[in-house]
Amino acid sequence: MAAARRLKRVAASQPGFLTLKPSSEPADLVGSRRKRVNKNKKKNWNKFSDIADVEEFLEDVRHQERTTGGLLSEKSDDTLFFVDLGQSEKPEQKAEEPDEGKKRKGKASRPLRIDLILQHDSHIPPPKDVLAYQQPNAKKLRRIAQKAEQLAARGVVPRRQKRLLNRRPIDRTVNKAVTEANNNPDRGYYNLWGQESKDSADPWYLQQTGKKLVKRPEKLNEKPSVLPAVEVIAPGGSYNPDFFSHQVLLQEAHNVEVKKKKQEDRLEKQLAVNKEDRATEETALREVVEGLIEEEDDEVGAPNSKEDDEAAVAAIAVTEKKTERQRKKEKAEKIKEQQRLSSRRQNAQQQQLFQLRSIKTSIKQQEQKTKKKQVQRKAQQEAQKAQPRRLGKLKFQTPDLDIQLSDELAGSLRQLKPEGSILKDRFKSLQKRNLIEPRERAK
Amino acid sequence: MGGLPKKKFERGSATNYITRNRARKKLMLSLPDFRRLCILKGIYPHEPKHKKKVNKGSTAPRTFYLLKDIRFLLHEPIVSKFREYKIFVRKLKRAYGKTEWSDVERLKDNKPTYKLDHIVKERYPTFIDALRDIDDALCMCFLFSTFARTGKCHVQTIQLCRRLTVEWMNYVVASRALRKVSSFVTWIQYDFHPTDVDYRVMATFTELYTTLLGFVNFRLYHSLNLVYPPKLDSKAESELKEEHEDDYAMNSESYLEKLSALSSSLARVVSTDEEEEAKLDEFPAEGEDMEQMEAIEKEQKQLETQKKLFEGLKFFLNREVPRESLAFTIRCFGGRVSWDKSVCIGSTYDMTDETITHQIVDRPNVDKQYINRDYIQPQWVYDCVNAKILLPVEDYFLGVTLPPHLSPFVEEKEGDYVPPEKLKIMALQRGEKPGADEEDEEDEDEEEEEDNDDDEEEAEEENLKQMEEQRSQGKSLQVKVTPGKVKADNPARLKEEEMAEEKRLAIMMMKKKEKYLYDKIMFGKKRKIREANKLAAKRKAHDDAEKGKKKKARK
Repeated sequence: MAAARRLKRVAASQPGFLTLKPSSEPADLVGSRRKRVNKNKKKNWNKFSDIADVEEFLEDVRHQERTTGGLLSEKSDDTLFFVDLGQSEKPEQKAEEPDEGKKRKGKASRPLRIDLILQHDSHIPPPKDVLAYQQPNAKKLRRIAQKAEQLAARGVVPRRQKRLLNRRPIDRTVNKAVTEANNNPDRGYYNLWGQESKDSADPWYLQQTGKKLVKRPEKLNEKPSVLPAVEVIAPGGSYNPDFFSHQVLLQEAHNVEVKKKKQEDRLEKQLAVNKEDRATEETALREVVEGLIEEEDDEVGAPNSKEDDEAAVAAIAVTEKKTERQRKKEKAEKIKEQQRLSSRRQNAQQQQLFQLRSIKTSIKQQEQKTKKKQVQRKAQQEAQKAQPRRLGKLKFQTPDLDIQLSDELAGSLRQLKPEGSILKDRFKSLQKRNLIEPRERAK
Repeated sequence: MGGLPKKKFERGSATNYITRNRARKKLMLSLPDFRRLCILKGIYPHEPKHKKKVNKGSTAPRTFYLLKDIRFLLHEPIVSKFREYKIFVRKLKRAYGKTEWSDVERLKDNKPTYKLDHIVKERYPTFIDALRDIDDALCMCFLFSTFARTGKCHVQTIQLCRRLTVEWMNYVVASRALRKVSSFVTWIQYDFHPTDVDYRVMATFTELYTTLLGFVNFRLYHSLNLVYPPKLDSKAESELKEEHEDDYAMNSESYLEKLSALSSSLARVVSTDEEEEAKLDEFPAEGEDMEQMEAIEKEQKQLETQKKLFEGLKFFLNREVPRESLAFTIRCFGGRVSWDKSVCIGSTYDMTDETITHQIVDRPNVDKQYINRDYIQPQWVYDCVNAKILLPVEDYFLGVTLPPHLSPFVEEKEGDYVPPEKLKIMALQRGEKPGADEEDEEDEDEEEEEDNDDDEEEAEEENLKQMEEQRSQGKSLQVKVTPGKVKADNPARLKEEEMAEEKRLAIMMMKKKEKYLYDKIMFGKKRKIREANKLAAKRKAHDDAEKGKKKKARK
């Protein structure tokens, strides 16, 4: 390297050498009056020698190397110049086609021109990023790794690794939530009623720590309805029923339908309009014209109104003051009236003695009435218990009877067409027994 | 003096009830969760007697719960599980929305679940209490086991219900506990689902009932000394081994399907070779209870004979008959049953087996007929079970109009109309043979009887006419007094007459009021009898009309 540098210096000091940078004024080349310095001392070698030209040259060389990848003088002619031959003629092109094919392949194998231009061709490699290679604690880590390797070679397993190996492998195949769910089809059952309660701890302790289960109030054990859970269908509902039981069932269904029809008819009657009340053209015209025809009506109206006025005046007649005589009379009459009433009352009381029998009978009748009413009320209450309660916005709708008409009855099980749906029947039964409130699908 | 003024609706019934929304807010649950909790714990809304008081003056229809019930609900540990589930759903939705699939997996793995065992124990503290509610539970489980596994309800629930119902049926078969069978018009449908039923409510009920039924099954199996969960007897299992088991069901389900076929017996904990007949405990006879004891013994013997109704008989079910219910019924009474291989897993013998005694068919005719077996319609099985004896097979041959299928749950009281078919069955039960009926003989008998009657009547009438003529003519009747014959006294008749006499005396001695009541009662009874007679007359007329038609057809 030093030899190369020396060569470059020597080359630079030749008088004919041209630098890239235009040199400074030619005046510098002419020697100017300088102060005489002793250059033999080491101290003065650096101080007083002018190496600017050399430095310049070297700088130029470095520049060339950096940018164009090497000294320009050392580059071949091909890299710097090309001969412009102009557009080549066609027959030559055709002749060259087979060659061009090969050339194309060769061109394809060769890198693109633009890539070549963009390649960095300086001789100076890019600087290394030292920080990227720096690792804090590298030595320490290396030492630890080596030690671990040695231990492993010897067979000693450190404690942490031992614990990791001992840990059981997780069973990833079975979903924990699925196995513990209440409706897991493979869930197990045990003897629920055979176990004794855990009386191990003090009841106070259990209560305070929240482990004791709260006692269920007795009232909740009563069933909300006296109806049985599963009601047997009447014998007429059999798939091959007896004639009379089927008729009985049909009769019931018929009654239900008759009731419905009656209700509809009643509604229609209420809404019905009398035919005579309907407006005809005549009445409409009269209505429109009312009040507009004035001739006869006034004469008839006038004498009537006069009579009314007179009567009204008479009614507002002036009331005169009452005289003393009148007041005394009134008092005397009042007293008489009171006396009469009291004597009547006394008489009635005395006569009651003789009316004992009839009084007794009337009392008995009243008692009988009240008893009858009591019995009736109790019977009604009992009947009410069997009815579904009103538990919400909607009323309970009794489901339709599941029967088949006489011509729908099938002779054999195979031809039986099923009626109704058990799901619906169960839902209605739950409502009937007051377990849930009647619900309808939201619209 | 002084004191605070009494305000309305501050005490009494108004404070005992709480509306549904208030209760929900107190528990801090959403409405579906609140409903589910109430159903699980068995807390139902109440209708207060004085609605206006409770509703603070208004009559708007509201749902009311008792306040004490809601306070009791606050102590329930499942409530916190419901809240956890709500949070789980929220987190899951968020993870889905952000497409964080690892989070989704992790959350799904740790989904919060709850168990209902403590609730079942609390609601049914003893086994007997649980048995009281078992019919409702069975209904629901059977219903759910028939649902299609589409995903509208949890598929797991449907599977669990199927398993429990199969276990129950196997228990009934093993214990021969079936008594009455009836088949109604509302048959189980497999493909029709009404839309106005709230599935969530039904599913909640089913949740509770599956838990209950599972525990009850466990207890029942152990009381019968059977292994739970049920396993097929090792002998029977080897019989059932087939080559193409994969054709029927998936491997996981094939064991359940074999069990559900009900064709083989279950394994026992302590294996016994034969079933020993349970001997009745003999209590020392006490005078008054002798009759009762005898009656109980008689009943027990009847039951024993009834349990072995189909023992020794071999049945084969054709393809078109309802297999499950028939197999269940037959097996419950000791019979052996099988079906075609293509129908279901678990068929033990083929149609070509020579030892089959009865083949159940529902078609108008069958191609190949074996000689030593009876071809009958399925109603025969049910009617035999209800009548507790083996009915004559001729009424149930193919193509014959079946006798009506009577309901076994109807108990006729005296004086009610009893259909003639039932009378026939009762006669058979007593051991009398109904007269060997061919229709011609019947007709002939009837005609003869009618003629006889007519003749007798005519003879009597003539006699009377003669006597009257003689009287009118003033002649003394040629009636002589002959020494009387001693009639042999029938002691039974005498006794009856005595009792009737006593009854009449008692009636005469009643007070007016009592007599009035008695007359009313008798009137009611007589009315019933009259109606029954009317119905019988109608039936007779109907039968006569039919006979007349047949006669005409014959001519």
